[in-house]
Amino acid sequence: MPKENILYKFIRSLIEKIKIKKHEYIMATIEIVLSALIGFLVAGIVLYVMEYDPGEVFYIMFNYGFNDPEYLFGKAIPLIMTGLAFSIPALAGVFNIGGESQLYWGAFIGLITTYYVTQYTGIGTLGTIIGILAGILAGAAWALLIAVLRVYRGINEVITAIMLNWISYFTIIYLIIKFFTNPIIPHQSIEVPEKASLTPYPGFIIAIVGTLIVYYLLYYTDIGYKMRVSGLSPASAKYAGFDPSRAILSSMIIGGGSAGLGGSLLILAISHNIDTTMSTIYGLGFTGIGVGLLGRNHPIGIIFSALFFAGLLIGGQWVELKTGAPPMLSDAIMGIIVIALSAPYAYRLLMNYLSRLKKR
Amino acid sequence: MSQKEIAVEMRNIHKIYPDGVVALKGVDFIVKKGEIHGLLGENGAGKTTLMRILYGEIKPTKGEIKIFGERVKFSGPWDAIRKGIGMVYQHFTLVPTFTVKENLFLSLLSINPKATIDEAIEKAKQVSKQTGLRIPFDRVIEELPIGVQQRVEIIKSLIREAKILILDEPTSVLTPVETKDLFEALLKLKQQGITIIFITHKLKEVKEITDHVTVLRRGQVVGTVETSKVTEKDLARMMVEREILFKLEKKPAKPGREVLVVKDLEVYDDRGLPAVKGVTLTVREGEILGLAGVQGNGQKELAEAIAGMRPVASGKIIIDDIDVTQLSAFERYKLGLAYVPDSRKVGLIYDMNIVENVALTNLYRIISKKSRRMKWGVAEKIASEVISKLEVVAPSLSTPIKYLSGGNQQKVMVGREIVREPRAFVVTEPTQGLDVAATEFIRKTLIHLRDEGKAILLISTDLDEILQLSDRIAVIYEGKIMAIGKPEEFTLERLGLLMGGVHA
Repeated sequence: MPKENILYKFIRSLIEKIKIKKHEYIMATIEIVLSALIGFLVAGIVLYVMEYDPGEVFYIMFNYGFNDPEYLFGKAIPLIMTGLAFSIPALAGVFNIGGESQLYWGAFIGLITTYYVTQYTGIGTLGTIIGILAGILAGAAWALLIAVLRVYRGINEVITAIMLNWISYFTIIYLIIKFFTNPIIPHQSIEVPEKASLTPYPGFIIAIVGTLIVYYLLYYTDIGYKMRVSGLSPASAKYAGFDPSRAILSSMIIGGGSAGLGGSLLILAISHNIDTTMSTIYGLGFTGIGVGLLGRNHPIGIIFSALFFAGLLIGGQWVELKTGAPPMLSDAIMGIIVIALSAPYAYRLLMNYLSRLKKR
Repeated sequence: MSQKEIAVEMRNIHKIYPDGVVALKGVDFIVKKGEIHGLLGENGAGKTTLMRILYGEIKPTKGEIKIFGERVKFSGPWDAIRKGIGMVYQHFTLVPTFTVKENLFLSLLSINPKATIDEAIEKAKQVSKQTGLRIPFDRVIEELPIGVQQRVEIIKSLIREAKILILDEPTSVLTPVETKDLFEALLKLKQQGITIIFITHKLKEVKEITDHVTVLRRGQVVGTVETSKVTEKDLARMMVEREILFKLEKKPAKPGREVLVVKDLEVYDDRGLPAVKGVTLTVREGEILGLAGVQGNGQKELAEAIAGMRPVASGKIIIDDIDVTQLSAFERYKLGLAYVPDSRKVGLIYDMNIVENVALTNLYRIISKKSRRMKWGVAEKIASEVISKLEVVAPSLSTPIKYLSGGNQQKVMVGREIVREPRAFVVTEPTQGLDVAATEFIRKTLIHLRDEGKAILLISTDLDEILQLSDRIAVIYEGKIMAIGKPEEFTLERLGLLMGGVHA
């Protein structure tokens, strides 16, 4: 029975893995439980001081946040991809906080290509596919710009990314208002044609497939191996004769491509247009940093952490509706929980990055 | 000798580090007031440990310290500084982005929180006048040459009214001209009654500048002698004399054709100063060429240049008749070169497992050329081969390397090179920090490889290792080969002299 054999083998290897890393897993579990407790405690205190009932707020947040799967999965799509956009370069030792603008360009280019390809060919599926590919390329190209400046000009990637985020933000607003407004609803861009658009579920599946491809690249190709070695130990990478610039460039291309895919999927499966205040696409890249950290920079972990984030986001909206709490409050509660959960890991990552910056 | 004439008196100092390494075994160290006292010894003899104890940086396990006759117990360098002890490290402790006067001010603040920057400058000017050490007050440290930075470091100690100045290998970073300047300044300081302890391994300098010299060997004092009464030869003998602990069975070498050739190689160090100055070496198949020398004489840069990790300024590196000078490390490994670095932090990725670590230098055997897929199955096979061949003790192949003992980590690092059957080996400090059993195992493995016809360049600061393993010995000093020949041509005394920079 080969099927059982594979299952048996898988379980055995899993048990072995847990055995070897027992200490690590126990520590990680303690860390997560403690972080969650502290997070909820602090959030509870904040709510109590603001004269809301913490129990009620948490109940609404977790009950309503996770009870509409289609909404939940849809919300998670861009977060998975921006989470990857942060985490893949982080594995190679690069701090990509430009997932925000890489997603913008993925969304914008994805929208336009889908729109025109569908219009000219009349084939919706073709528009979808080309839109997705164009989105990936756009995100990757935008991330590559950051990487090139870092590798060939020595400019710190964090600074470049912050500046490019705002440049992208206003450039896209300008482009939409100037060239691509919806003639009927002038504060919105052109729509994704109905026959080219997706529903959240297929969008989510594409996001999962994308994540699995990334997982394969990271753990089953030499590109990913070289990236991970460079990230964990630059001296070892040098010893093995790996080109450190290559690791930076390829990690940013894959990361940016992920954010770009997130942008195009967002447009195709969820919002179908970009409004001229950017409200539908703003902030997803920044949230992605939290998603990546909470997912411990692991592709599979990121899927779950994105779902958790999505649930909190939705739950937060329900809290506003049901208790009349201001949106800032539910954002703050979410922030506290997420910070508490990702702080220990983020701290280690940051220390690692800073010590490396010093050596450079 | 009255009590007052003695500046430093350290009696029966023992130091056992928490990891069980015995660094000092009952050292007596006495320095007279106003003299320049040399502290001589090989790597690991305990020079630096002894001085770090005197400076209050680490605490002795046992022993007594008196400064100017007064018994002291330091809880940290600040106590030592208050007692008038100053230390100038090999790696300076200046704030690189601050100006000279800001650095001086900072150091004065540590003993007098009310000090002003003008006071610091005033004092420094005075010291500068007395010693002839001129420094530019308004320049930023990192823009200054190393020699000037060192002057700032010395003046920094002096404005804190240091009466005893410890200099740790001060000339290792200096050019000959700067060294001359430094020595002139040290003599002036001596005239003013400052006591100077001068740590070095350079015999010539000991003769040139010190009044007395204490020689340490393996954590014990060999003797304290008046410098004018001994020759460089005597010092060399004191420094290196030893009994060979255990002999290894070794068949006579049968050297074949030349596999690794290094021609007129020049390489710069991280600071951009020449570290390897025209080295020519040939390693034949079936022989071990041992490169002896005190740490920091260009060995690391030489090894890295051969491996392809460090650019070559001029000269050639040839592996098996192929000029590889312009090739990357990855391509050199593919051509049959293996390099075991001196640090496990470089060779191993601690957070990765054994298989992933073995893949590091075996990568060209593991990736499929068409799809760039990592064939982890192949990697696992290679890793199991390493484990069984080198008797690595590990719970499983997927154990992160950081959970293995140092000896087993080293075995993985050496083993993954052995199993890929390279023709030329460059091995640096292969047994550093290992216990006796692991050391013997690794050394036997190297001899076995030699018998199989591999060409091995063994770079080690451990003279025992060099003497046990080498079929030919070369000695490196300040980036140059001092001598090369059969082991019979080297007495211990001659090796000591050569390592100390004296032609013999």
